[in-house]
Amino acid sequence: MKNLTIRNLSKTYFDPYAGTNVTAVHDVSLNVEQGEFVCIVGPSGCGKTTILNMIAGFLPHTGGDILVGGRPVNGPGPDRGVVFQSFALFPWKTVLENVAFGPKMRGVGKAEREKIAHEYLALAKLTEAAGRYPAELSGGMQQRVGVVRALANEPDVLLMDEPFASVDAQTRMTLQEELTRIWQEKRPTVIFITHDVAEAVFLANRVVALSKGRVLEEIDVDLPRPRSWDALNDDPQFKELTGRVLQLVRSA
Amino acid sequence: MKPVILNIWSFLVRLTARFPSIGSIAPFIPIVAAWWIVTELQIFPRVFLPGPGDVVRSFGLLVYTGVLPEYLQDSMVRLAVGAFWGIALGIPLGILVGLSQRAHTALWPLLLFFQAIGDIAWLPILVIWFGYGLVTMTVVIVYTVIFPVVLNTVLGVRSIPITMERAARSLGCSRTRMLWEVVLPGALPNIVTGLRNGLGYGWRALIATEIIVGTSGIGFLMFDARRAGSVVEILLGMIILGILWYIVDSWILAPIERATGQRWGLVTR
Repeated sequence: MKNLTIRNLSKTYFDPYAGTNVTAVHDVSLNVEQGEFVCIVGPSGCGKTTILNMIAGFLPHTGGDILVGGRPVNGPGPDRGVVFQSFALFPWKTVLENVAFGPKMRGVGKAEREKIAHEYLALAKLTEAAGRYPAELSGGMQQRVGVVRALANEPDVLLMDEPFASVDAQTRMTLQEELTRIWQEKRPTVIFITHDVAEAVFLANRVVALSKGRVLEEIDVDLPRPRSWDALNDDPQFKELTGRVLQLVRSA
Repeated sequence: MKPVILNIWSFLVRLTARFPSIGSIAPFIPIVAAWWIVTELQIFPRVFLPGPGDVVRSFGLLVYTGVLPEYLQDSMVRLAVGAFWGIALGIPLGILVGLSQRAHTALWPLLLFFQAIGDIAWLPILVIWFGYGLVTMTVVIVYTVIFPVVLNTVLGVRSIPITMERAARSLGCSRTRMLWEVVLPGALPNIVTGLRNGLGYGWRALIATEIIVGTSGIGFLMFDARRAGSVVEILLGMIILGILWYIVDSWILAPIERATGQRWGLVTR
């Protein structure tokens, strides 16, 4: 695991319908230390997913630098694991094969990579589902697979793009609690994109509020861990923090 | 009265669940029965419409003399050879056109153009070039099989969500391995659909070709029977065509579909 540095990142693209250049991301700088959990929060269209796609290497950036462990990003790579909003599991592979996919691409032998996959599946309490196909699982379980598939490849940075936005509210809370537990156990470096302020504060060490492609403010979250919704729902510090972030995001 | 019907019904349900082949035979019973009744009532002269019994007798005779097994084998081998080449050429071509925008731009109009010149429209010129024989038949079948396979493969490749490719790339999958790990399995349900259409068309094209240029085969059997005025053999040929396709579909194609697209949830049942 290494640190991630973003310097003066910007993204401008030509909008053929409007006939003008549009700036989606404007001069964003961010430093994420190894083992940190950073949430980028902002309303739809604020550029947060664009930032994540540029870090992942899915989109080219038009200005600034993205460095992972000092090396500039050039296209997608296994050093940056991605968890997608739409899960993006391979439907033709079993849960086990999905999780073992990253190690397989690294050239890890079958027995060894299945051992790794089983280990990570156990971490997300998915041992029972190993032999099933993604279509046979609920949305919540599919995204658990999505998270451990990315983790099993041991990336330097884990990029999560609104991963829990398409599951129901109860499942989402469980998944959030599980994610904090897994994070504490494995300590990956995480950048987590969300529009949900409470989710951002619940998960993060640091929340980055974003609006119209610019960073408004970075807010440290030093709530005690392990975190659970039962404990935090009525916590005054949690309320104070979510209130502050919400105000920031809404006022901009 | 009602319990009796219910009992019969539940008996039938249990029977077809236990022996699925009965379920696939059952729909034909009323048709054969109607056919039998019509011939028994002598509505049409026997020479024009022989009954089921006559066809079965003719079947027995042609099997006994060895004509039918030989012709059947000829037709199946031609279909298999044609299908093999159609698939071997069609899938790679479809993947190329599906993946590369440049290949798509260059080849798509050609594909549509040549698709429109249907299989047997090629026969006149093929007979001049290759004569009456296996080459002509193979070309026609390959030509017929290849288009549905190519077009459906292109569709399959293009309908793979971009997130699949992104997920694979960020898990360390190289572009070459992507072909085997993502593109091929992702397009497979569509490829199977293309295969099913292609083989169906290919089967028909084969029979048409055998009728026109053949010297053996089921199509030839039927056309030869017409020359001899043997309606019985024509009917037999038609029935064999239907049964053979049913077998190919339910023993080869349907199991592939069940094991792939349906299992993966990519196709709804």
